Amino acid sequence: MSVARRAVRGEGRPGRRDFLAMAGLGATAVLLSGCGVGSGAPRGALRAAFGQPVTDLDPYNAATAVDEASLIVKRLVFDTLVRREGKTLVPGLAAEWRRDGDTRWVFTLRRGAVFHDGSAVTARDVVACLEHTRTVVSAQTPLWATVTGAEAPDDRTVVFTTDGPLGSLPVNLTLLFIVPARRVADPAQKRSPIGSGPFRVTGFTPSTSVELARFDDYWGGRAESPAVSMPYIAETSTAITALRNGDIDLLWPVPPDQLPEVTGVPGIAVESIPSWTYYFNWFNCSRKPFTDPDVRRALCHAVNVPQIVESLFGQGGWQMRAPLPATVAGHAAQEPWAYDPAAARRLLARAGLGRGFTTSMMWFDSTGPLARELAQAMISAWAGIGVTVRPQSIEKAMWLERLNSLDWNMNLQTNTVTTGDAAFTIGRLYDSKANRLGYRNPDLDAVLARAAATPEGPERDALYGDACATIWSDAVGLFPVTLVTGYGRARELTGFTPAANNQPDLSVVGRR
Amino acid sequence: MGAFLAKRLAQAVVVAFGALTLVFVIVRAVPGDPAKLIVGPDASAGQLESVRSDFGLDDPLWRQYVDHLGGIVRGDLGDSWRLGGSALTNTLERFPATLTLALAALVLTVAIGIPLGMLCARRPGKVLDLVVSTGSLAGQAIPSFWLGIVLILLFARHLDWLPATVDGSPAAVLLPALTLSLPFIGWLARLVRSSALEEGAKDYARTARAKGVPEGTIQYVHVGRNIAIPVVTVLGLLMGNFIANAVIIEVVFSWPGIGSLMVDAITNRDYAVVEAAILTITLSYIVLNLFVDVVYFVIDPRLTPEDA
Repeated sequence: MSVARRAVRGEGRPGRRDFLAMAGLGATAVLLSGCGVGSGAPRGALRAAFGQPVTDLDPYNAATAVDEASLIVKRLVFDTLVRREGKTLVPGLAAEWRRDGDTRWVFTLRRGAVFHDGSAVTARDVVACLEHTRTVVSAQTPLWATVTGAEAPDDRTVVFTTDGPLGSLPVNLTLLFIVPARRVADPAQKRSPIGSGPFRVTGFTPSTSVELARFDDYWGGRAESPAVSMPYIAETSTAITALRNGDIDLLWPVPPDQLPEVTGVPGIAVESIPSWTYYFNWFNCSRKPFTDPDVRRALCHAVNVPQIVESLFGQGGWQMRAPLPATVAGHAAQEPWAYDPAAARRLLARAGLGRGFTTSMMWFDSTGPLARELAQAMISAWAGIGVTVRPQSIEKAMWLERLNSLDWNMNLQTNTVTTGDAAFTIGRLYDSKANRLGYRNPDLDAVLARAAATPEGPERDALYGDACATIWSDAVGLFPVTLVTGYGRARELTGFTPAANNQPDLSVVGRR
Repeated sequence: MGAFLAKRLAQAVVVAFGALTLVFVIVRAVPGDPAKLIVGPDASAGQLESVRSDFGLDDPLWRQYVDHLGGIVRGDLGDSWRLGGSALTNTLERFPATLTLALAALVLTVAIGIPLGMLCARRPGKVLDLVVSTGSLAGQAIPSFWLGIVLILLFARHLDWLPATVDGSPAAVLLPALTLSLPFIGWLARLVRSSALEEGAKDYARTARAKGVPEGTIQYVHVGRNIAIPVVTVLGLLMGNFIANAVIIEVVFSWPGIGSLMVDAITNRDYAVVEAAILTITLSYIVLNLFVDVVYFVIDPRLTPEDA
């Protein structure tokens, strides 16, 4: 008769041994159930941890349209027609493409590409994906605004039409993930999507972990690792410890102040690359006193950017010389703002603010590494010229609400040039219609429109160079630092190449 | 007993209703528009309106509340905009992990706290007693997220004895469970100590000593049984605390439970998941208290429902 039953019947109380036995059973049960918590990666799996959680795998979810963590997984699970390798566009699902007049692009799909369910990738799938993504309003919307449609004259040909020249279409297509036409609007895509990429999804716990298994029928050949496990480790010291102890094979980005913790550790290699992610501090150009360019320029002159970047970021950051990172297509270096507090005071005096003024700066801490420290350093510098800045470290949800409604004076944040092309950042953010920071400049609008219509090449680069110069000299913001992504990895990994967009190709990473 | 349980259940419904109302109001009082988080900064006004309509966010607050209560009665807490699918299902998928962590913490607390308290009671005022008393205060003063990081640095990074995060092995539960339990081990030990000292001075213990019963037997058998009621009361509360306190610990250790889910949901204004998680935690707290009430009668049949 069980101890509990005897006790209930009053035939005897649980004795010490009974109690200990029950406690032991309980402990065993807990430990056994603990075995099921989390998903142990299968043998040989590549265990890679990125610094942000993957919340969704739907390639058309507006909330994650340009979310880095989601994009890392999507690039392993789905294909795009075109891919970017460094600054070069290379064939993906499309074997070749050509421009057909000013308003048509013709893409020819490669043979032999199949989805994870075994069905062939056809031009109809591509058309369905484009039509669906155009119905979703997201950060990608401006990329597709001038695309009027697509058609599939046969299984392997897709013809895109635009309402004017759109030189950046191939670049934009690096963000159009292809799924079977019947699945484009299927809610199941959020958790168990079907693509045609080198890996298929075998497990996904939002914001916790993603489990992928190699797709053996991938047109580009089998991936090096049989599986990829991507746990999300929120706490930096936990993630660093997991890397040092071999619980994970790859960790990125390693925050600049944590690089010494993994540098020189046996078995771990650290590789860095200037990323497409950078900090900017926008001035609200529709609010006084920032309506006056002199005020904005004064604030730029007041900050010793090289010193701040060196002190805070060290090897983890590069001083910016344009409103976008140097590794992005369309970057044109400008003359950095000289650190000159006297000139800053003169500019303020010319603007009628010789005694300084009071303003505020908002940011959310998780926008990037050392955000609070960067904000404090700049606020301290501005205090030196009589400008008092109230720091407003707020929650992301509140930040987003205020950002959208232009309810701020200064806004510090990071931004990533997701496509690696100036059109994505400059064309999207600084056009007057976008009205993201209250800045309106018809001349700049005209330059951006011409740049967007021009195919890749020197003419396009020159136009974006002009745009860089205008944005920089008008001092719509202070652009202090491009982040250098530090990748900490197990030395036994092979084939790994750090990626500027924080989206390394894990399909080519193997193990010695 | 039936009337007692019915009364307790009625009280539980009132508590759950109060908790749900409070959470409903608080999450909506916090600034931040879920629609903007859902569609991002590039959304048009029309798109925002459409999303608000889809999730009922454009309804008056009272209607949202009524719909919310109606949904709860039907077992439907709405869909998670961030994770997709039912918020309750998403929450319940994660609850076993939190329960595992809380149970492991409880086992550690009991396994260390009770014997420690008994030892202190046998030698009050000695070194161990002083250490436990001081350690108990220190343990409760230390923030759990800090303690978690220190334990990771010590046991995972420097000693490499235990994994820092979930790796699929049973050992992965030890560090987060220890972090949860450490502040309460000294607390339980002090409770056991004071109860044991009080019981040890009573007539039945004195009589047992007069009969020559060994001191260990008196402490662990006779006294031990008589301090079970206060200890069980505390253990019920502790289990509830462990489930609730797991929120921060789960983030530190990347434990895939309800706590890390809730932090993510709060940050992203995923109202349905926040409410489902709070409801789950509230109900588990209520069930645990009810369970403790019932256990009283099993431990001590002299008790009647009126005593509970």
